[in-house]
Amino acid sequence: MYELRQVDKHFPGVQALKAVDLTVNRGEIVGLVGENGAGKSTLMKIIYGAYQPDGGGVFIDGRTVRFQNPRQAMEHGIGMVFQEQSLITNLTVMENIFLGCEYGFVRFGVIDWKAMAAAAREQLAKVRLDIDPYTVTSRLGFAQRQMVELAKVLTLEERIDGDLVILLDEPTSVLDRDEVRLLFDLVNELTVRASFIFVSHRIDEVLELSNRIYVMKDGEVVDVVDKESANIDDIQHKMVGRDIDKEYYREQKQKPYENSEALVSLKGVSLDRRFQDVSFDLHPGEVLCFVGTEGSGREAILRTVYGLETPTSGTVTVKNDRVLRFMAKSGVERGVGYVPRERKVEGFVSGMAVYENITLSQMKKYTTAGVLRVASERLLARNWIERLAIKTPDELKDCAGLSGGNQQKVILAKWRSAGSDIILLDHPTRGLDIGAKEDVYEMIREMSDAGVGIILVADTLEEAIGLSHTIIVLKDGHIQKRFDGKPGSKPSLYDLVHHMV
Amino acid sequence: MNLERLKPHFPWLTLVALATVVGIANPAFFDIGGLLLLVADVVPLFVMALGMTFAIYIGGIDLSVQQIANMVTVLATVFLSQFGIGVALVCLAAGTLFGAISGYVTTRLYVPSFVSTLAMGFVALSAAKWLSGQRALSMDAQLRNESFGWMFGKTLGLPNEIIIAAVLLGITWFLQTRTPLGRALKAIGAGELAAVASGLDVDRVKIIAFAISGGLAALSGLIFSVKLSGGDANLANGFLLLAIVAVLVGGTPLTGGVGGVLNTAVGTLIVMVIRAAMVYLEVDATRQQMIFGILLIIAIAATIDRSKLRGVVK
Amino acid sequence: MVTRDFLLKWAPVLVLLVLVLCFSLIEPRFLTVRNFARIAIAATPALMVSVGVTFIIIMGSIDLSMEGTVSVCAVIFAFAFLAMGGTVLSWGLLALPVALAVGALIGLINGLVHVKFRIPSFMASLAMGFVGTGFALLVTGGDRIRVEDDIFRSLLTVRWLNFPVMVYVAGLFLLVAWFIQNRTTLGRNFYAVGGGEELAQASGLNVSRVRILGFTLAGVFYAVGALLAVGRIGIAETVTGSNFMFISITAVVVGGTALWGGIGGVWNTLVGVLIVNVINNGMVVIGLPSYIQSAVLGILVIVAVALSTDRRSVAFVK
Repeated sequence: MYELRQVDKHFPGVQALKAVDLTVNRGEIVGLVGENGAGKSTLMKIIYGAYQPDGGGVFIDGRTVRFQNPRQAMEHGIGMVFQEQSLITNLTVMENIFLGCEYGFVRFGVIDWKAMAAAAREQLAKVRLDIDPYTVTSRLGFAQRQMVELAKVLTLEERIDGDLVILLDEPTSVLDRDEVRLLFDLVNELTVRASFIFVSHRIDEVLELSNRIYVMKDGEVVDVVDKESANIDDIQHKMVGRDIDKEYYREQKQKPYENSEALVSLKGVSLDRRFQDVSFDLHPGEVLCFVGTEGSGREAILRTVYGLETPTSGTVTVKNDRVLRFMAKSGVERGVGYVPRERKVEGFVSGMAVYENITLSQMKKYTTAGVLRVASERLLARNWIERLAIKTPDELKDCAGLSGGNQQKVILAKWRSAGSDIILLDHPTRGLDIGAKEDVYEMIREMSDAGVGIILVADTLEEAIGLSHTIIVLKDGHIQKRFDGKPGSKPSLYDLVHHMV
Repeated sequence: MNLERLKPHFPWLTLVALATVVGIANPAFFDIGGLLLLVADVVPLFVMALGMTFAIYIGGIDLSVQQIANMVTVLATVFLSQFGIGVALVCLAAGTLFGAISGYVTTRLYVPSFVSTLAMGFVALSAAKWLSGQRALSMDAQLRNESFGWMFGKTLGLPNEIIIAAVLLGITWFLQTRTPLGRALKAIGAGELAAVASGLDVDRVKIIAFAISGGLAALSGLIFSVKLSGGDANLANGFLLLAIVAVLVGGTPLTGGVGGVLNTAVGTLIVMVIRAAMVYLEVDATRQQMIFGILLIIAIAATIDRSKLRGVVK
Repeated sequence: MVTRDFLLKWAPVLVLLVLVLCFSLIEPRFLTVRNFARIAIAATPALMVSVGVTFIIIMGSIDLSMEGTVSVCAVIFAFAFLAMGGTVLSWGLLALPVALAVGALIGLINGLVHVKFRIPSFMASLAMGFVGTGFALLVTGGDRIRVEDDIFRSLLTVRWLNFPVMVYVAGLFLLVAWFIQNRTTLGRNFYAVGGGEELAQASGLNVSRVRILGFTLAGVFYAVGALLAVGRIGIAETVTGSNFMFISITAVVVGGTALWGGIGGVWNTLVGVLIVNVINNGMVVIGLPSYIQSAVLGILVIVAVALSTDRRSVAFVK
């Protein structure tokens, strides 16, 4: 029996987990659901040993254990089947299954391939996968790879004494309906060998497979429901249920946008497998929010509008001008500004001063005869530092030394000072503290008032609802539903979640 | 004292310390005339290192500089009679073209710069061998003096070679600090993905960086060729190691984004002082390469920004 | 169906066949056993060096230290050989394992510098190469050391079936390399590291150890290359290692081992070495000047790397 008692986990500025209790009994399938940011992934990392809890304890059969790394967790029977495929594709199936523990098949320094293949067949039989263990992994389909990963984790059965607990992180995200069926049958069958923790954003699937379901919100387990008494609506309400403070999102400041000519217009745009047949218009002053789960295509749409991705079909029109060459450079020239999710990697250049970052996208304007007018660049930066109340000793400070919220302001200053009137915000409040988040909300309202069209991918659903005029719900790359969000008649969290999953 | 804050000052502190030690051991080192000669001697290396700075500043490397310089020594010697001083332009164009091709291959064909520049270096080697007929050539003394004799004169007591180096340093420093190109180079070196997401034409800027590197390597070869009054496909061998050392010791790390041409000036002077010290300590010329090789490892290890390597170091 | 994978796998062999065909058509003298023996002799030392660096490239790293390593191994071998008797039928025989040990040691240092200081391998190994060449220069003072023992030189002088012994020695070591690549944990781990370093680490593989051992192993093969190079010309000197860097890297990538790691192997390298040497030899045979060779190789390596790169999987290249 595996047990977590009162587990806490802190990160600078956030408490990711608060006194989490979780029990997994032998042969049980436990579901784990929660919104993005509810603490699911932190909890999983603690379970499989990637993180260590700051408070509370982990117990196996009543004895306390502590894992320094995933390997130690594995030695105690905790296995993880990763969401992103973790097989090395240039190796054969059997090599992947036994990677890191080939020593069982080595005699006098030589690998006995036949013995390894035989052992691999045994493992593959456990997951009822009838493939040649000599197959190179890259030749397998996603579903088969998922099974191989499961087989790899199941090798723990022979390697360790005691019970197995296997984490399945979004295992169905790359599978079609029949494959999901197969996987579920298999997991049910395997409960004679192991217990499972099943993490998914598809609540119906969790409900179907699990014996008990843990519902997480804001780093806490808010409820544990048994399969018999569970229903989707209740769980969804518990996942998102929270009183929304209208003040917080500056809802009272939301003004209707002009329904005039569209700034950005997409018609039937598709990009490979990322999103399909997406059409929408963005008007001046409108805040348009894309809502959907991870991988639903939200970010890819933003990057396409900006010019970092080239769509495979459909037309993108920016200010009545059809975009033919998709390049960030031309996006910027059309007045599009992009605030990426990975602030430190794509948002600003660390190692460059505040003023250098602010003018990075508009150096031409501050160049005379090929020479930068550093003085006017710095003046511009000082103005914007004041205007957005950026906390920095001066404009010469390295951007990397600012707090997250101030870095975000610098990035916004970059686009606003350049006069961008289409701003794409990808998780603009990610990792910011509450005060900084409110600053960002305030700025979104200001920009909207100034007639800037904003496309937002919000960090939470509340944020999306609170901030936007229009909400488009995406699922698996398709537009599911469009909501109008006038103050007072905004869609509820439940409405959105309903279409998302 | 914070070590990280001291880091930018390390190069010149090292230079001062080294120079002091050498000067105490050998007071003749501080003789102005001798010192100027030493500096003038290191000018071709400096010019090459100056170009290399641009390749390293954006986080790449240029391993073709030595071969480009070799090729240019031949080019200059062969075409001196035809073009006179105009041969300088021919050389510059050839080097810039080679560098630009390396840059193109790196950015558009996705070949890592150490491979593309290595390969282009071998193309340059072929060109050098072809042009020279695989022989050591020498310049016509009279022609050389007519066209380039002024290089060995003095202006206000300073050897003109040093003035050339100073002018090039001035130009590149201006380019680095005061032009959009320089700013873009820094952005690419410090955070390439952010530069892309800000709408910079990153490929173009990188190609220009390699072109500058090639162009300055060519000038380096030209100066060297005029100095030695000849050309040969192997004349500049040995420059590559020292040029990389000069850039890295100067404080421009292999990961790019920090440092720059002034650092390279300091780095070159450090190389010069070490060489002078070795001569004074009667360290055989044959041992110098090993010492500079070890110094290179130390310099990389000390300057490299490991946070940028993101976990995997290949 | 002709897939990209299939093409990438067989293109090098096809190129080799086409080259042989073309040269044979232009100049029938190319297609003679004598000429093939000549190609084989020229290719063997390079083959050993290329096999060594193959392991490194499979890991997704690169090694540019081979010129220095080969020179040091050659020179130390020659000194040890002469000091211990000067003939294989004496203690001089011990000079052979000494050379291999020196190669391993340099490789080990190279790997340690790369892994422990976290310096990208191209730069760590380039610097080590400079140190190696400098060291060889230091111990020889620029002199040539002659190794004139008849038995040692029989590597070149004795021929079986028209090919000298050194070709068979190289063949033997190629089989050893193949064995290491396919049948040992270390060999397979090279592929795991090259295919996905972080994933391999997550599966409990000690990636640092694999890397360091990889560089050590490569050092041993460089030493074998050095011995064959000395055996071929009977001289050990600082420039014994010259040109090996570019030829071996070219051979490996032209043979179809991807610079990004994970794909390829020693047989690819054999094909690559043959391509490079057939080009070198063929151009001379059909009467082209030798100075074109480096340019041809330069362009070849760019084309090979560019073609083998899947552009969708690379974010940016420095």
